[in-house]
Amino acid sequence: MSDANHNARSLDDRAHIDAKRAKAWGHIIFNAILALLFAFMFVRAGELPSSMWEPMGAGTFPRIVLAFLVVFNVMIIIKELPSLKQTSALSQGAVRAWLIEHRLAFGVLILFGLMTAAVPILGFRWASLPFLIVCQYLLGARSTKALVIATVIALALSFGLESLFRHVFTISLPRGMWG
Amino acid sequence: MLEAILLGADQLFTFTTMLTMLVGVTVGVIAAAIPGFTITMAIVLTLPLTFTMPPLQGVSTMLAVYIGGYTGGMISAALLGIPGTPSAVATTFDAFPMARNGEPGRALALGIWASFFGTLISTLVLIAAAPPLALIAVKLGAWEYFSLVVFALTIVASLVGRSMVRGLFAGLLGLLIATVGADPLMGVTRFTFDLRLLSAGIPFLVVLIGIYAVSQLLKEVENPDQVQKGRQLITGRIEFRPFSALREVLKNPINLLRSSMVGVFIGAVPGAGGSIANLLAYDQAKRGSRHPEDFGKGCSEGVIASESGNSATSGGGLIPMIALGIPGSAVDAVLMAALMVHGIGVGPRLIMDNADTVYGMFMAMFVAGAMMLVVCLLSMRLFLKVTNIPKSVIVPVVLTCCLVGAFTLNNRVTDIYLLLGIGLVGYIMTKLDYPLAPLVLGVILGPIAETNLRRALMTNEDWTLFFTRPISAVLLGLAVISIALAIRYHLRQNRPRPEDA
Repeated sequence: MSDANHNARSLDDRAHIDAKRAKAWGHIIFNAILALLFAFMFVRAGELPSSMWEPMGAGTFPRIVLAFLVVFNVMIIIKELPSLKQTSALSQGAVRAWLIEHRLAFGVLILFGLMTAAVPILGFRWASLPFLIVCQYLLGARSTKALVIATVIALALSFGLESLFRHVFTISLPRGMWG
Repeated sequence: MLEAILLGADQLFTFTTMLTMLVGVTVGVIAAAIPGFTITMAIVLTLPLTFTMPPLQGVSTMLAVYIGGYTGGMISAALLGIPGTPSAVATTFDAFPMARNGEPGRALALGIWASFFGTLISTLVLIAAAPPLALIAVKLGAWEYFSLVVFALTIVASLVGRSMVRGLFAGLLGLLIATVGADPLMGVTRFTFDLRLLSAGIPFLVVLIGIYAVSQLLKEVENPDQVQKGRQLITGRIEFRPFSALREVLKNPINLLRSSMVGVFIGAVPGAGGSIANLLAYDQAKRGSRHPEDFGKGCSEGVIASESGNSATSGGGLIPMIALGIPGSAVDAVLMAALMVHGIGVGPRLIMDNADTVYGMFMAMFVAGAMMLVVCLLSMRLFLKVTNIPKSVIVPVVLTCCLVGAFTLNNRVTDIYLLLGIGLVGYIMTKLDYPLAPLVLGVILGPIAETNLRRALMTNEDWTLFFTRPISAVLLGLAVISIALAIRYHLRQNRPRPEDA
């Protein structure tokens, strides 16, 4: 019993260390990319035209914000560096386990991205209909009954919503190549 | 005066006016509960329907939509963690955790009562203090506006969560996002990189929907085992006890009154509105509370402050409109348009020339507030059924509504691409423990800050005016006090406790 508890605790500790290290890497990569982007934008903002009517030009305010942002990015990176020293390398399979745990979130994100890309081509109705059915299937609507409900919801949301906006609010949602 | 009140009452209390107001309140509640569908959109869509109505009936119906909308935004904020309207951002901080802790009924009931009292208090202030408050609001020049924004920005310090650096970074990122597109004074395009996608800037509402809705929904589906077994958003028995919530709200009279007064004042300042009032009222409640550490974990004080604060802007916004003909917000501008369509001139003479309409509007505010209370108390059990719907249905349905909301704002397909991009950034930030509220606040306040800073320096290059003009100096002083208090609070939080040693 105590061995089992000890093993469970050491697994928890390992997961905690992996999470801390992964987060530190996440911050360093995210903030380093942003720091470079903001430094580039800072330079670009300096090329914006100034005005003879006001002491501040179009680029002054964004430059102040960008300068602070670069400083904060560097501060966050410096703050995260000790976490890398304090933790050992990620355990084998940690990245794979994280990806498996987040598979539904990434799946939904990809489906949402596909729908977004398809809206101007297929129109709202035909882009949202498959999104709604496939997304519900992905998230657990697997039985025949659940799939029938999912299809009804998808039809109501895609065709129904489009019709509601067109006829009641007189707002035309994108109709795609079917004009 | 009595004659005008009676005449206004005679016009207001007719069957058709009461009916259209009831429909208006219901439509406002439902519309604002949908993420991306703002109160302004609901009011704009209502405007053409009021053209055939008598003036007071038309304006009262729109006021009903307005008041219903301020409460409706709370529903998705509490149940889904997604603010239905920008004025419900702070409501997510405590109402959502409260719902997640198994008390969605309590969260909604507290929000409804707080909204009702917020509307009531703001209407009383509107009647009593419209002229003097309007005069103060109008005296604010670019210096005072900038100082007001600086003061509002200090709220970031109390919204930062565990890390001050990450919170301030998020706030600055919000300010930067607001600078994309045409610059507010010269019209020069900034940071568009010749992309059509960015040429019109990044609309605030797209940021709000992307940051809150998309990232929140992706977070909901992170546990595949629970999601695919048909797990609901909130599990456990759900209770709805409105009268126990009423007692809880009335036990917080200072919080209620302070938050409502914040809402009235912010509403009376042209250009500010429910979104700022909601955050500012929450911040003030947290600072004034004996238990600030409970905020963000499902604290009733937070729900009461945010909801009474945003609802009180409805009365506050009417103060400059009625007294001076200056709209406090986009919604007030539409209300002004409705009056003008009926041939009623809006300006300092409004209350003298059309006293019956003005007193009728005051009474309509009370009636709409009461109707909102009845509609919400009767329909909340229905809304609570949302919590029984499995995530497999909620997530795709709300994502589709978000896409529709982002598109209909400006009828631009590029806005839905921005929604996807901002949703992704929001999700990354959530995974890296960045607080999202400061970012939203930065996007709201960024353009106001830049415009007024540049306008002030354009009028007079002497920057010491920010410190020598009395109202501006008071606001900056308050900002300094606010930062000092936030730093003290953070130091206390981070100080090792004796038992940790």
